[in-house]
Amino acid sequence: METLKEVVILLVEDDIGDQKLVKKSFEREKIANKLHIAGGGEDAWAYLQRSKNGDGQTPKPDLILLDLNMPGIGGKELLRRIKADAELSAIPVVILTTSDSDQDILNSFKLQASGYIQKPVTLQGFYEAIHNLEEYWFVICKQVPSVKEAACSR
Amino acid sequence: MDTFKRAVVLLVEDDPGDQKLLSKALANQEIPTELQIVGSGEEALEYLLRSKSRDEQSPRPNLILLDLNMPGMNGKEFLRRIKDDVDLCAIPVVVLTVSEAESDIQECYELHAAGYIRKSATPEEFQRVVKTLAKYWFATSSLAGR
Repeated sequence: METLKEVVILLVEDDIGDQKLVKKSFEREKIANKLHIAGGGEDAWAYLQRSKNGDGQTPKPDLILLDLNMPGIGGKELLRRIKADAELSAIPVVILTTSDSDQDILNSFKLQASGYIQKPVTLQGFYEAIHNLEEYWFVICKQVPSVKEAACSR
Repeated sequence: MDTFKRAVVLLVEDDPGDQKLLSKALANQEIPTELQIVGSGEEALEYLLRSKSRDEQSPRPNLILLDLNMPGMNGKEFLRRIKDDVDLCAIPVVVLTVSEAESDIQECYELHAAGYIRKSATPEEFQRVVKTLAKYWFATSSLAGR
């Protein structure tokens, strides 16, 4: 099965500890990947706008991992904006959050999130969740072509 | 949080061979999976309408697996209609297809598919694909309306 040369992931997460956990998890994965971290909704939105220019510094992500619980522009609002933007709406957004509220889960799927993962409690749990996420999105699933082009043309 | 007890998967697929393959592949998952099979987009819509009225014979799916290439209502049209429905749009739809056409892939993601998987050449490979898919949706991810 075909895989990308290097996948680009945008993590939108304000908690420094969780940023580290996700980073560590991706570093263990065999598939070459580049993790960009935005500390909040505003940063993430700014990044995504810049990524539309196809410049090497801010490549369009192949996947966005999004925490719901952030100050400022929260996760739900960012998700809404991404899915309303013609150039960004095709990028899969997976919620990775502490919330286990059924309403949050339902609302996220209604806003067209492509997965909802409650942050695991253990480090091992994190490794497994990120590994399965990578296997699903970057090994068995086909990537969005326009994003793939941007990622490979660097 | 409830652990996920049983997954209901709606397979929208007209090819009997592929129906069998999927059925077999989903049968051996850790989480018991109930597979409902319909042969067309129209049948799938009818099924989903029945599931809205809590018909026991037609339980609401937690996940929809959708073949793009079907006679009658094609997969993309079905996807469009599901995502327009306030009630049904929350059900993740994963597209399964033989098409490698980039325009197809792009369009499906734009229509909010939650994955685009090309049907594999061999049953063994396909088994692996389905295992990863089931792990992602039934173990790692929390499905809405479980």
